[in-house]
Amino acid sequence: MQNSLLITEENRRFEKFRLLKDRIFSYVMGLGGVAVIAAITLIFVFLFYSVFPLFTEATVGDAKYYAHESSDDILYLALEEYAEIGLKVKSSSGYEFFDTSSGDSLLTGKILSENTSSLTAFARGDLRSRVLLLGTSNGYVRVLRPDYAISYPNDLRKITPTMTSLFDPVLVDDSFAPIRLIAGQSVEDETTIVTVSSDADVSILGLSVESSFLEEEVSVSIERSDLNFEGKTISQVAVDVEQRNLYVLFSDGMLELYDVTDKTAPSLIDRVKAATGGAKVTTFEFLSGGLSIIIGDTAGNLSQWFPVRDKDNIYSLVRIREFAPMEGSVTTIAAEYDRKGFAVGDSAGNFAIYHATAEQRVYFGVREGSVASFMSMSPRADAVIFGLSDPDRKIGIFEVYNEHPEVSFSALWNSVWYESRQEPLFIWQSSASNNDFEPKFSLTPLAYGTLKATFYSMLFAIPLAVLGAIYTAYFMTPRMRAVVKPSLEIMAALPTVILGFLAGLWLAPLLEEKLPGFTLALLVMPLLVILAAYLWNRIPESWKRFNLEGWEALVLVPVLGLAAWLSLIMGDFIQVTFFNGSLTHWMSTEMGITYDQRNSLVVGMAIGFAVIPTIFSISEDAVFGVPRSLTMGSLALGATAWQTALRVVLLTASPGIFSAIMIGMGRAVGETMIVLMATGNTPIMDLNIFEGFRALSANIAVEMPEAEVASTHYRILFLAALVLFLVTFMVNTIAEVVRQRLREKYSSL
Amino acid sequence: MNVESEIRQEEPKVAVDVSSIRSDSTDDSEQTGESPISIEVNDLSLFYGEAQALNQINLRVPQKKVTAFIGPSGCGKSTLLRCFNRMNDLINTVRITGKIKLLGEDIFDPAVNVALLRRRVGMVFQKPNPFPKSIYDNVAYGLRIQGSYSKRVLDEAVEKALKASALWEEVKDRLNESALGLSGGQQQRLVIARAIAIEPEVLLLDEPASALDPISTLKIEELIFELKKDYTIVIVTHNMQQAARVSDYTAFMYLGDLVEFGDTKNLFTTPEKKQTEDYITGRYG
Repeated sequence: MQNSLLITEENRRFEKFRLLKDRIFSYVMGLGGVAVIAAITLIFVFLFYSVFPLFTEATVGDAKYYAHESSDDILYLALEEYAEIGLKVKSSSGYEFFDTSSGDSLLTGKILSENTSSLTAFARGDLRSRVLLLGTSNGYVRVLRPDYAISYPNDLRKITPTMTSLFDPVLVDDSFAPIRLIAGQSVEDETTIVTVSSDADVSILGLSVESSFLEEEVSVSIERSDLNFEGKTISQVAVDVEQRNLYVLFSDGMLELYDVTDKTAPSLIDRVKAATGGAKVTTFEFLSGGLSIIIGDTAGNLSQWFPVRDKDNIYSLVRIREFAPMEGSVTTIAAEYDRKGFAVGDSAGNFAIYHATAEQRVYFGVREGSVASFMSMSPRADAVIFGLSDPDRKIGIFEVYNEHPEVSFSALWNSVWYESRQEPLFIWQSSASNNDFEPKFSLTPLAYGTLKATFYSMLFAIPLAVLGAIYTAYFMTPRMRAVVKPSLEIMAALPTVILGFLAGLWLAPLLEEKLPGFTLALLVMPLLVILAAYLWNRIPESWKRFNLEGWEALVLVPVLGLAAWLSLIMGDFIQVTFFNGSLTHWMSTEMGITYDQRNSLVVGMAIGFAVIPTIFSISEDAVFGVPRSLTMGSLALGATAWQTALRVVLLTASPGIFSAIMIGMGRAVGETMIVLMATGNTPIMDLNIFEGFRALSANIAVEMPEAEVASTHYRILFLAALVLFLVTFMVNTIAEVVRQRLREKYSSL
Repeated sequence: MNVESEIRQEEPKVAVDVSSIRSDSTDDSEQTGESPISIEVNDLSLFYGEAQALNQINLRVPQKKVTAFIGPSGCGKSTLLRCFNRMNDLINTVRITGKIKLLGEDIFDPAVNVALLRRRVGMVFQKPNPFPKSIYDNVAYGLRIQGSYSKRVLDEAVEKALKASALWEEVKDRLNESALGLSGGQQQRLVIARAIAIEPEVLLLDEPASALDPISTLKIEELIFELKKDYTIVIVTHNMQQAARVSDYTAFMYLGDLVEFGDTKNLFTTPEKKQTEDYITGRYG
């Protein structure tokens, strides 16, 4: 026997081993806990890391200048896809392709072979079509297109530029009057050319190329019409890529829009005053896709316009939005090729990049007093080539790092007036088949869908789960409870894909067919149950041969079955008698209520089914955990069981039930498979229970496989995931805080 | 008088001065003989499943007196007490034979409304069990479930009950605070106030002071003494000194049998049964 508290020789080995085990266990447990927290933190960090670039500002690299130019005017500058080759078109000496890294000339050519005329007008067609239109001093129009052939000699990319003339020179005016302004498009076989000669005489030419089968020949047919604006001065004309709309800008700031679908009969669509205040419009430019124009003025204001169709199918040109103004007069606007972004240069030497849909300026910088007279974005919007006006007269190029200009708070959450829509809307439409499509990244309809799913599923789940929990914990006999509770909890293990599958393929069609019966059941079931309970009490005791002893609830099973059967029969009858055989059809034709087969009702029931075990189990524990002494105290005061349940048990268990509902809600918010399979996944915003929706979670599941890694779309999906994560995190935290506070509050019970 | 001195010798264990209580109680004890019967128990047997917990109990609880049930743990005294307001109904396996009459009415009659019975036979448990509500709402609870919602009526009843349970002075300024903030003794008095707010005829106290400290115990005992003016009180206690101090009549129970029932003074001084004597002299229990 030793009485020392210290480790002695006798017990040394045993004590050491015991202590070691103790320590190992505490480390392992600690490690487990830390690992869980670390995993959650890592998820958060990864989501944040993926989302973060969306909110970084654009940056630009240092400008690189090439050798000084001769004094003749630069008409056009462009870069090809890889920004390796630049193209400049000058009014006197023709065109030149040059290497952007070395500045070496690669190919030069003359546009005009004869020296009898000079270039007097220039326009670029759609950026992707690369078409250039030139007007000469003797009334001819030339249509050119630079082409870039890519080959891989020695496994290295080699780009060979060529210049193609699409037509023989077209004589617009028999009097050989010089062309002052030109505009046009050439896409496939259709070409539109609009010219303005010295005064305000506008000629509209439509050229169609027809190739015959038999001969190799091609013939060009020309349609034309002329417009004359006496006493006005036209300062700019432009034709959209569809060759339907002609914009004519006058020097007094009026902008007219003509429908030139029929080249022989242009018709005026709308006339608006484009300039605001005392400012004068300096230039306007199409955004990618040619649907909207950006107008810049002498005060530096920038506004976006596009034709909007009203209910009567009449178009009017509408100022859609204003952008943060430039400091000086707008000198040049360069649109991006594929996105709805554009770059602007002003007379104060500033340079800025905007994004139209996101309604934001993503970059603003000063170029030390040098004013850009012309500017082009590279096709990938990763470089800008610009020509400086007097006195600098040089060409420069700089890189642009502008990955995600489409994302701004307003683009994600506010209603946005998208191109060719009648009004600002909340739309999620992340991709389309064409390149110049305007992506619509409004998370609002998706968040709305998630809330709608949560709302309807909670509407279904809360009453069933909470009332079931109260009944099970408070009224049920222990033997029955021992069967019911685990069975319901096992429901939680049911994979939601099965629920979604059943909801989408079995419940949805059934509900569509039996909607009146289902609605009736909501009424008939409680009524019949009450009736059955009443009758049960009226039956003489001697009739109740079997001692049900707490299994009385079983009596309700046939009653509920009868109620369901009755409702369905009556529903079918009502449907045939009053609704011509189909309530859903009747609703959509007579009431104007849309009925989707896979709708919120179906989803509400399916998600409700999925979250019921969670809510039930936690609420049941809360109700069951109400100390028996409280129930006894209440009963001993002469309260009935129902009064006790309502006033003491529910009150005491209420925070627990609240936290159960919150946890269930957290699950419903994040639910994916069911909303994916049992709704139409249409991102619409509508409270109608008979219409579908698209939830944030389902959207991620649907679109993640098709999103290009690191694209804006991809990152916005991560943002949606982050939003979901934060919402569920918050909901669960609230639930936990409430539960902790409850534990403290009732610890003395 | 030697009874008194005998009991007095044991008092230091409780460490409270109860002399004042006793001097009053002797005045009342003179009328015991004429006291009308509140609860009459006839041949009451109770079984938990197969196990018999009470065996052929016969007992008459006099009105407006304090009757104490004493006996070792498991003797059935609490079980008997719970029969009086049918709290045993809550246990499924319980089977009862025999009769209990409250003022001549059979409480086991199938037509009896248990809620009304419990309204007339109030009960206070061993451990204070205030509801997680305010002090006011706790006391008003019994009235509210009877459908009484008039603020004036409730205010009056709450004040009266709290005064009767000697808690009014301590809580009158914080009636709207949670009852869970009160001390254990205060909680027990609150629970008594809650029980008497509905003015029952009988008050059952199931070891009301066993979870309390000596000071709180004293207060509860003083309270019991006050309350017997208006209520028939039946108290179950482990503590023989307490039984001797507060009760007019005492029933000694052992293993489900009612061994002896009689005037407290006589039972403690000249017990008729040897078992009783053995118990009160501390030979077992």
